[in-house]
Amino acid sequence: MSPDFDVIVVGSGPAGVSAAFPLVEAGLRVLMVDGGKQPGVLPPEEDFVSARTHDADQWKWMVGEGFHALKMRDAVSPKLRVPSQAYAFDDFARDNQINGERFIAVGSLAKGGLSNAWGCGVAQLSASELAELPFLASEMMASYAKVSHRIGISGRADDDMADYFGLDEFAHAPIPMDKLHTRLFHRYTKRRIKLHAHDFKLGRSRVAALSADISDRRACDLSGNCLWGCSRGSLYSAVHDLPALRKHANFKELSGFVVDGLTRDCGGWAVTGQTASDGERRSLTADKVVLAAGTLATTRFVLKALGRRHPAPLLSSPSAAFLLWLPSFLGAQRVPAFGLGQLSFTLCLSDGINAFGSTFSTTGILISEFARHIPMSRRYGIDLLRGLLSSCVVGNLFLPGQLTKAEVKLREDGSLVVSGRYGDSVAPLMDEARWKLRKAYWAMGALLLPGSFTVGRPGGDIHYAGTLPMRESPAPGETSPRGEVEGLDGVFVVDGACLPTLSAKSHTLTIMANADRIGRRLSMELSQTKK
Amino acid sequence: MIITGATGYIGARLTYLAMMRGHDVVMASRQQPAFPDTSWLHFDLASNEVIVLPAGTDVVVHLAADMAASNLLDEVGEVAAAQRLIKSADKAGARFIFVSSQTARADAPTAYGRIKWRIEQDVLSAGGCVIRPGQVYGGELRGLYGTLVKVVQKLPLLPAFMPAPRVQPIHVDDLAEGLLRIAERSEVKSGVYSLATSVPISFSMFLGEIAKSRLRCRRVFVPVPVVVINLFVALIGAVWRTRLGLDRLPSLFDLPAMATASDLGHLGLTLRPLPAGLHPSGDDRRRRLLREGQALLVYILKEQPGSAVLRRYVRALEGLRGGREFGLSGIFLSCPILLSLLGKASWSDAAAGEEFFWRLDAATMLAEASPAGAGRFLGLGRRHGLLSSMLSMTNALAGEAFWRLTRVFVSPMLRLDMTQSKVSS
Repeated sequence: MSPDFDVIVVGSGPAGVSAAFPLVEAGLRVLMVDGGKQPGVLPPEEDFVSARTHDADQWKWMVGEGFHALKMRDAVSPKLRVPSQAYAFDDFARDNQINGERFIAVGSLAKGGLSNAWGCGVAQLSASELAELPFLASEMMASYAKVSHRIGISGRADDDMADYFGLDEFAHAPIPMDKLHTRLFHRYTKRRIKLHAHDFKLGRSRVAALSADISDRRACDLSGNCLWGCSRGSLYSAVHDLPALRKHANFKELSGFVVDGLTRDCGGWAVTGQTASDGERRSLTADKVVLAAGTLATTRFVLKALGRRHPAPLLSSPSAAFLLWLPSFLGAQRVPAFGLGQLSFTLCLSDGINAFGSTFSTTGILISEFARHIPMSRRYGIDLLRGLLSSCVVGNLFLPGQLTKAEVKLREDGSLVVSGRYGDSVAPLMDEARWKLRKAYWAMGALLLPGSFTVGRPGGDIHYAGTLPMRESPAPGETSPRGEVEGLDGVFVVDGACLPTLSAKSHTLTIMANADRIGRRLSMELSQTKK
Repeated sequence: MIITGATGYIGARLTYLAMMRGHDVVMASRQQPAFPDTSWLHFDLASNEVIVLPAGTDVVVHLAADMAASNLLDEVGEVAAAQRLIKSADKAGARFIFVSSQTARADAPTAYGRIKWRIEQDVLSAGGCVIRPGQVYGGELRGLYGTLVKVVQKLPLLPAFMPAPRVQPIHVDDLAEGLLRIAERSEVKSGVYSLATSVPISFSMFLGEIAKSRLRCRRVFVPVPVVVINLFVALIGAVWRTRLGLDRLPSLFDLPAMATASDLGHLGLTLRPLPAGLHPSGDDRRRRLLREGQALLVYILKEQPGSAVLRRYVRALEGLRGGREFGLSGIFLSCPILLSLLGKASWSDAAAGEEFFWRLDAATMLAEASPAGAGRFLGLGRRHGLLSSMLSMTNALAGEAFWRLTRVFVSPMLRLDMTQSKVSS
């Protein structure tokens, strides 16, 4: 009996669709399976400020009719409290049997995966970073170009971050900044030589958000609803790639199918799991399986198929958040602004460690998020924040992933335990980052508010990678340069799990480019054997 | 289970509760009730016919009573009807439960009390159970409770009898629960069970509570000596007594106090507090949650919350917190700004502190997610500019400083207060 498909792609997130394109375009019979969760709450139609002023039903998208935001009160990020994005995270840990132990383990069973709720940060690995990968950099360059054009990137600017992002040949003009960021950038430009000496560089954020229409997706209109859901489709989600894939007759989709295992079958592989709609168990066969379920879920499938109980190392970026006050804007009017990164920075720290971060407008974020954390009684905390926050921007900061000492381990019962903590070097690096940022932003007329610099909990970055790293000569539990799992020939890993390194910079675009690269290689091989 | 008087004030609640528990209930009454899917048995206190109980009857609860019985003939009829019913139950091998009255006594001042006493004797000698409920109240405005609510509603002045008669209230659903427990447990022994709150309250306090918790009004009480009433009742004669509904007054003045604690304990029955039971929904859980939400939201918004936001708070607590109130003490409920005194260190019990801040956070998010919240939190639709921002921040810092200082002085008292509120919750 011959298998049902040439390739089964598990997951419809950024990695899954990027690997699927070359396979489908080569005429191979491809089945994409995913958890299939769909949005249930509509994002606001008006811009954020108007909606907040007039919409009597704003609680439906801010808190949710089932009080989602209250249920998720202790979740690590405001994103996890947004009702319109609840579906992106729902049931992942339970259905995939993934448990975090003092470690935040988040993933997605949604159509489009975590890209439904991402920060849209994109970057290309530098030449030296690419050199650490076990294949030619040129392979990746072609893939970066292809993926960048497809998803639409904005932020092109002749600034100090152009080389760091390395994407300007594919990027569109930037989305306009708000007044606060404009002022920050203006001050930076005047003092950049001095700031360079303080190991600080600043430039426009390169983001997968549109400044010009691409087919059905419309350019950002500064509605300020980025966190709450963009009704214009300006922010890239892998869901936007699915119509193009569906145009091919050789592309099939099975939604609401939660995979739980891989077994050898028909000379290829059987992917088994359960369909959510009818609760029925199914088994689908293919010559090759491409795993793009997200680092944690993919790792569990592979360790289960290998029967491997050794812990695998997990890369995850230590993160922090902080608040900057621009006193000259005290009393500024609230206007809707782009809600994702507007300016991004790099900061050189001791031992050659590089930190990366971005700053954001505070307008789209709930004041409740801040009020809970300031050491004042609630009533006066709100008074203070109302006066203060319109002249503030929030920032985040990431350190390289190897600084977190984390691992994943398969348990007897088939569940995956994710555990870890920050390495000892993180605390001093964070201290160093804090005072360096304070100095740098002070030079730009902004005060890093005392007490606001908060180090995140391990895993809270939701940048997971490196559990099944690609190696020139892979050992058991590793993958080959083409993503094939050592010991499971015909099973390929294309998501974050196969990245051998995780720098501080946004890694989604690199995952996508790598998935495209593996997909292209695989499609060439399969087409040749078919002939 | 056969229930006589199943359409009456207590009978209807008992029937409903028994059916909810999955019992096969036969309603025994003069007229067939209009409830769908119920079995019915004709039963008339005034008729002489023999009552044949359906096969498999486990228990008979006898609630039916002729409320107008005032002459000897009716007395005889009602007792006879009960005797026939006891005989039928005995024949069918069913247990017999009789709902009597607190006034039941051989020498009761009213016919009602004497009839009940006579039936009690028959029931006990046949090995049945007698239940003496106290002042039944709550739920639909029926029975004596219905009359009392209507009286309180109509009259701006109410009598405060001197010396004050004392009543022992019990909510109609608590009574139904007690009856059902006795009916369900075959090991409950023959005897008299008194079901009512164990601490009697004055009748005027009961009426006052009806005014406050059921009708949300205030009533003025005028002292009236019982001697005067008795004289008046004696003078006007039987016909007018019946016409004015004053028949049963003498039994009110002559109510014996019942010791109920051991019977309640025996049945494991906890009675709801009077103010809770007087609320039309049967409990005031929701009203207390509303008060809590009101206090937290006023504290956060610095103005009255819209009713939609307030209801949302209650729904959220019902959905996520089991609908239980936190138990903030009254001073915070009536003066929400005092919540500024509660910091992380005010809690002797960590779990109580956690819960308080969960609720404060929930109220904060719900308050923010409204147009009023957009004004309060973001300053939308308000004056903006350097001056108003500075004002708002100065105000915040001054307020914070003031309350922190106050906290230092009141913190010993505050801790005490929190322990108390925890106990009450």
